[in-house]
Amino acid sequence: MEVIIKQEDGKTYVKLSGRLDTTNASAFQTDIEPLFALEDPDIELDCADMEYTSSQGLRAFLMLQKSVTSHGGKLVMTNMKPQVREVFDITGFSTIINIK
Amino acid sequence: MTTRIVPIAGKTAEIIETVMSSPDVPQDETLRFKIRLSVEEIAENIVNYAYNNGNGFVEITTTLDEAGMLTISFKDAGVPFNPLEKEDPDITLSLDERPVGGLGIFICKKMMDSVSYVFEDGCNNFTMKINTRK
Repeated sequence: MEVIIKQEDGKTYVKLSGRLDTTNASAFQTDIEPLFALEDPDIELDCADMEYTSSQGLRAFLMLQKSVTSHGGKLVMTNMKPQVREVFDITGFSTIINIK
Repeated sequence: MTTRIVPIAGKTAEIIETVMSSPDVPQDETLRFKIRLSVEEIAENIVNYAYNNGNGFVEITTTLDEAGMLTISFKDAGVPFNPLEKEDPDITLSLDERPVGGLGIFICKKMMDSVSYVFEDGCNNFTMKINTRK
């Protein structure tokens, strides 16, 4: 799972690539740590190349959304593949995380 | 095909690969996504909770019948635990109320056509089925 974080004009762009599963979920959690420290978070997670997520990945996204909301910020996930989207749909995550 | 892995401590990835490389598992990408995800969630549970020290076995069996029904079974001699007894998470809760975690088995139930559990001869037996010809 590759995570590239870029700051531009007050927005944070994050590109996610690969599979997010049990083997790398804790490394992923560390990789996105800086996003939890943003003072005025305005984050876009580009999921075009994210192939897969297990419940461990969902856990990380839920924690991030909770953090962003508690900071009064914004989070959006974009370009999600249909299969990954299905995991967000069946778990109700599509209603608590903004997916475009 | 039956594979026995022992000891299972830290072997989640190996359990997943065992199933995904079985000749019974079809090549269709959408199906493989669902199967991998379901197997990962169950494997995580067994590896982390079945044995106190991970020092036991898991036996994985895959079969594909003539009608295209794929069956994947997991057998372990760990602590008796029926994952299907757990209530489904409330997916309508708001962000604030939503607990972190507890989705693994639920995802497996949703992805598969059926799941079942039986405790027999001192072993946990968890079985999932999916129709590969839908």
